[in-house]
Amino acid sequence: MQRRTPVFIITSSRPRVGKTLVARALTEYFSGQSRPVAAFDVNPGEFKLIDHLPAYTAAASIGDTRGEMALFDQLVTEDEVPKVVDLGHMMFERFFAVMQAIDFMAEARRRAVAPMVLYLADPDERARQGYAMVNNRFPDLPLVPVFNESIPQFMRYHANFPPTRRGGGAIRIPALTPVIRSVVDRPHFSFVSYASKTTDTTSELYQWMGRVFFAFRELEVRLLLGEIAPQLRHSA
Amino acid sequence: MAKPAVILVGADKGGVGKTTVSRALLDYFIAHNIPTRAFDTEAPKGTLKRFHPDVTEVVDITSTPDQMKIFDTLSSADAKVTVIDIRAGLLSTTLRALRDIGFLDAAKKAQLTFTVFHILGPSIASLSEIDETAGFMDDAHYILVKNFINNTTFFDWDPATYNTYFNKIKDAHEITIPKLNEMACEQVELASVPYVSFVANKAGDGESANYSFVLRGYVRHWLGNVWAEFDRVKLIDMVAPEIQRKGAARQA
Repeated sequence: MQRRTPVFIITSSRPRVGKTLVARALTEYFSGQSRPVAAFDVNPGEFKLIDHLPAYTAAASIGDTRGEMALFDQLVTEDEVPKVVDLGHMMFERFFAVMQAIDFMAEARRRAVAPMVLYLADPDERARQGYAMVNNRFPDLPLVPVFNESIPQFMRYHANFPPTRRGGGAIRIPALTPVIRSVVDRPHFSFVSYASKTTDTTSELYQWMGRVFFAFRELEVRLLLGEIAPQLRHSA
Repeated sequence: MAKPAVILVGADKGGVGKTTVSRALLDYFIAHNIPTRAFDTEAPKGTLKRFHPDVTEVVDITSTPDQMKIFDTLSSADAKVTVIDIRAGLLSTTLRALRDIGFLDAAKKAQLTFTVFHILGPSIASLSEIDETAGFMDDAHYILVKNFINNTTFFDWDPATYNTYFNKIKDAHEITIPKLNEMACEQVELASVPYVSFVANKAGDGESANYSFVLRGYVRHWLGNVWAEFDRVKLIDMVAPEIQRKGAARQA
């Protein structure tokens, strides 16, 4: 049976909430398993993901139709290669407007492409509105809230990002101490490279990777369940 | 027996998107399994024929033999719907010819169904066209089309003035053709295929093509909106009520 091609869109309508960190970790989650992966950096004027993972990442722009074609024509390719999209807040509205205008979800269903949105939560009202917009406009699109524990008091606003029918409940990204974060943010730092070299599996960063990669594994399982649920219903 | 239906698509001004509307109509009827034929009056080379060669014939609407070819075959043709894409400047002339050959009388006696899609341009001259056309529309379905596909803005129009003209015609309908992404529009032109073929990623010979998914998505979305406008004015009920009834019976 042909596996569906997962497409993870990591986004938020707000800046500086940890989108690129999640996109980096997710891309390396696949590459660390020697699985092919293609990442897209949609942060016009401030490419970030591509600075960290140039071997896996293409810069994408959706400012015009040619850019839209370059990005979405690849996202809908049924090649079983996981796609990771780091979608900056500046392009948030535009991306989902195009997605709706071209009826991306219908084509994704036809081509066995499984998109999933990972939405970075934060206390700002605009973040709540962005989440609600995606959920309302794309009821069939798995939408998963992501709580970055680096953002203070995340439990106070978690009700703004309720679990969704297709995406399920939230995942959490543990906070990193400032020193470790500064190491991680260095250009060319690689999680996988670090994990392969370290001998201390109790280190903060190793533990962090363990939790985050476990959450990504759970997301893959959710996509898989979404894939087989209709077949189970059919056979019942 | 089903009454033949004739749909005239025209305007006296050029470049307002008549062929676009004709193409969308042919796609719409074919998708609804309504046998349809078309006449392209852009003689000698034709434009509509380039997109729908199987059902389209190029004619000179001003010549009597070609008029016979269209109107003498209305009842005998397999296709019960006839779409005529009238070239720029010939709408009024064609309507006069239809009156002279007794076609409008036949519509009056309900022997056939007559529908006019009048494509409006942005200038005030389009409003005068409505005035000229109104005299022929007593027994026709009259549909005014605001075509935004080329990003037209109907800047010259004062709404009150427009309504004055619009209300001159009993039971007139108004539909809007939305703008289509420019690159998508261009690619369908280059592909020279019906909109539905482009959406289905098919070349003119029916083989698989390699059109951009994004552009196909824009066309699918646009065509859906255009067809929604046709549905809104109950176009099928106008031109093929027996098919509408059969569909309703099947659903029941």
